[in-house]
Amino acid sequence: MSASLAPECNEVKERYDSCFLKWYSEKFLRGTSTSDECDPLFKQYEKCLSRALKDRGIDKMLKEAREDNRENDAEHMRSKR
Amino acid sequence: MVKFYSTNDTYSYPFPAVTLAYFLRYPNPYSTHVLSTDTIARNYDPETQRLTTIRLHLKRSKLPSAVGKLIPRSLLGASANGDTQTYILEKSVVDIKEGWMDTESQNLEWTGVLSVVERQMFKRPAPAVPDEVKIFQGMEGAARRHGFITFGGLGAGAKVEDSGETTEVTSSVTLHSHIGETWKKRRAASVESGGEEQPQKMGFLRSWGTSTLQKNIEKIGLTRTLRSQPNAREGMKVVLERMREGGLVGVLDGMRRDREAILAGRDLLKKTARPDNDE
Repeated sequence: MSASLAPECNEVKERYDSCFLKWYSEKFLRGTSTSDECDPLFKQYEKCLSRALKDRGIDKMLKEAREDNRENDAEHMRSKR
Repeated sequence: MVKFYSTNDTYSYPFPAVTLAYFLRYPNPYSTHVLSTDTIARNYDPETQRLTTIRLHLKRSKLPSAVGKLIPRSLLGASANGDTQTYILEKSVVDIKEGWMDTESQNLEWTGVLSVVERQMFKRPAPAVPDEVKIFQGMEGAARRHGFITFGGLGAGAKVEDSGETTEVTSSVTLHSHIGETWKKRRAASVESGGEEQPQKMGFLRSWGTSTLQKNIEKIGLTRTLRSQPNAREGMKVVLERMREGGLVGVLDGMRRDREAILAGRDLLKKTARPDNDE
């Protein structure tokens, strides 16, 4: 599995990634999935990661980029109509 | 001023396998510059059966010496020898019902200097069989389309069947430099307000002219893009081959070996790859 940006999150990331791969290949790809079963593990991983992103000052940069994207997406949708 | 590059390719692997390989493409022997990959958001919509994922990659890169000549290194946060790290934000949407995966990656920092947006659209080719025949194939055909990855008891033993299926991919890269624009604006504002102060950063721009500088930076970016594309493709193929050979377990084993090699600072498997392989 790929490494996390934050070494302290590697363990919980690995647990989430394993869950995701199993769900993705066994359910999602077969079109039989009714929900994202790995969400509880993702929440744990996210908790660890968001702390790491904040410590490194990446959280603000990410927020801005994602807001830009949303605006662009909205723009894109409008121009299609 | 925008530079645009686009290419089409066909993978000789079924669509579901290609989407899985996309998520598992780092690390591979051609990606030793990728330091980390984190999932920062994920959403599954059971209604549409679409999966949206946002990931953050950290890549090590070497500033092209040509850029170092154009812009002071201190301004780019690079060390004296040009080593720098770049965060890449990747968004992907997989629609398994309609058979497509749309991905977009972009750099997070220095987007003013050069913004690089890479887009890849993977598609399951439309079936060559006429509709009437398809109806008779019924559920079997549908199951085949969804079930190219079969399982030998354990889920982790998933294997890709060589069904002769292919996946089409269209890749494009858009390079756009805004360098000098903010400083120009700032300067105009300062002149308007009666201030004669000129930021020091303007020094190297004066000799170039903003548009020439932008054009040159976009050109350098394009050269690097053209050079890194084959490696990105080879990386995907290594992952797909591992999947065909040993299923998911084979991919994970390969990843573990690559990760150990990266940690040990040995680029054992990279001998055949080009030395400057940042995406």
